[in-house]
Amino acid sequence: MALSKIDVANMLTGATPVANGGTALTSGFVNGITMVDQWRLTTSFSGNADPIASNWERVDTDSDGVPVGTGMSESSGIFTFPSTGIYIIKYQGVGHGLAHSQRLSWNIQVTTNNSSYDMGSNHHEHLRFYGSSLDTWCSGFCEHVLDVTNTTNVKVRFGFGAGQGGEECIGDSGGTYTGVSFTRIGDT
Amino acid sequence: MSRPNHIEIALVKIHSGQWFTWTDSKNKIYANLRLTDKIGVDGNIVDNTVTELPTESAVNAKLKEMQDAWDAANG
Repeated sequence: MALSKIDVANMLTGATPVANGGTALTSGFVNGITMVDQWRLTTSFSGNADPIASNWERVDTDSDGVPVGTGMSESSGIFTFPSTGIYIIKYQGVGHGLAHSQRLSWNIQVTTNNSSYDMGSNHHEHLRFYGSSLDTWCSGFCEHVLDVTNTTNVKVRFGFGAGQGGEECIGDSGGTYTGVSFTRIGDT
Repeated sequence: MSRPNHIEIALVKIHSGQWFTWTDSKNKIYANLRLTDKIGVDGNIVDNTVTELPTESAVNAKLKEMQDAWDAANG
């Protein structure tokens, strides 16, 4: 008699073999990614922001699909995690300058005591000066893997550095230029 | 860059830092312009040092100045 269904709960015992010489599966599993969130800067500014303290919004256009699970919360540019775990944090930025030629920087700042922040990751990009009437663009990206052992004390924020002070960090509410994403990849 | 065509481009040039925000970031008109409460300076979050919004005419004048400069540079 052909089987149309297998009673996995009662008939399957021992290790489940894996094809092509892989290690057999011997224990229960949960979904790997349980949390993803994405935020962006809505409004451009010039000069330094250490940290970027305002004009953040959760990405809310183009069928974004975030948050997956319970998302991040944000206050004055400080992001709080919804649960403990290992997170990948990605930070992309777009810079613009007119008659400025200094480096721009984007950085991820981490606190483990809800007070003092250290540099988690940093990216520098040089904005080339072509002429006083020609503007130039550049982009930056950095990421950081963070073990969030305590959601009260472990938090992140994001900075932007303008070399000469007149360079701009680009934000837009209609599409992401400067933004961050958070992905929980496992337990702490 | 294309010809400056929005007041946000002018606002960015009036002061540096995150001194302004919008009550509706998807409708960036002067009526929705506000000062931010806090800005980030040297690792600290402090009160916004800009305490007064520029007038609408001042913003428009700055935008026109930028447009004129762009026109002059781009024929």
